[in-house]
Amino acid sequence: MHDQTNDPDGVSIERSIDLESAAQTVWEHLTDGSLAGIWMDGEMSIVPRVGGKITVNSPDAAEVWGTVEQVTERERIQWSWRTDDGMPTLVEIEIVPRGSGTRLTVRETLLPWRVSGPDGYWEGPVASVAGAATVSLAA
Amino acid sequence: MTIDPQSLLAALSDPTRFEVLSRLTESGPVSATDLARDLPVSRQAIVKHLNALSDAGLVERRQSGREIHWEYSAGSLDDLARWAQTVGSEWDRRLERLKRELD
Repeated sequence: MHDQTNDPDGVSIERSIDLESAAQTVWEHLTDGSLAGIWMDGEMSIVPRVGGKITVNSPDAAEVWGTVEQVTERERIQWSWRTDDGMPTLVEIEIVPRGSGTRLTVRETLLPWRVSGPDGYWEGPVASVAGAATVSLAA
Repeated sequence: MTIDPQSLLAALSDPTRFEVLSRLTESGPVSATDLARDLPVSRQAIVKHLNALSDAGLVERRQSGREIHWEYSAGSLDDLARWAQTVGSEWDRRLERLKRELD
């Protein structure tokens, strides 16, 4: 099967930042909703295991909700999410030790939306989408 | 905003289809017959490419009398650029806050 979660092809944006903190601290700020909510700028809840739910409610933006797709403690987390009327995307965050600190890289990739779901939008984890992407490419 | 990134990328990835799209960005609305005259492929193949481009939101069809004319539409590429711009600056702000929080 095409491993879309590890090597998402498609349209994506990527950003990196160097941090002075060690991987463990950065990881906590990614996976503890009350800490992550501070820099994600919203009320955030995340269950950091595969299939766990993630939601972010910001004061001036639509609610974003999704599913955790992949977790490697202190190294990498992936989730798919969307807003009610927005396009589904895959978020992949990676932490790599660098000197005494870390480098954090985030990549967000557009997912195909013409999949199942009552409103014609994608619902559910990426695993259910990978096949649809193949169909849409082959069409 | 409704981009289907896969069909958009698939539409752009075929060289002949890209050539058809390029012609349309340079010309006004043209028919498949006009395009087939300029390109080394059959009219039937051109129509297939035009339909794929249309599905991706890159061209629009217009009925002009008995003929169908095709026209370039920048909509979905604009949407894509706007998406990258919006999402990119969201992460810029988030990562700045994270750095302030941690460093």
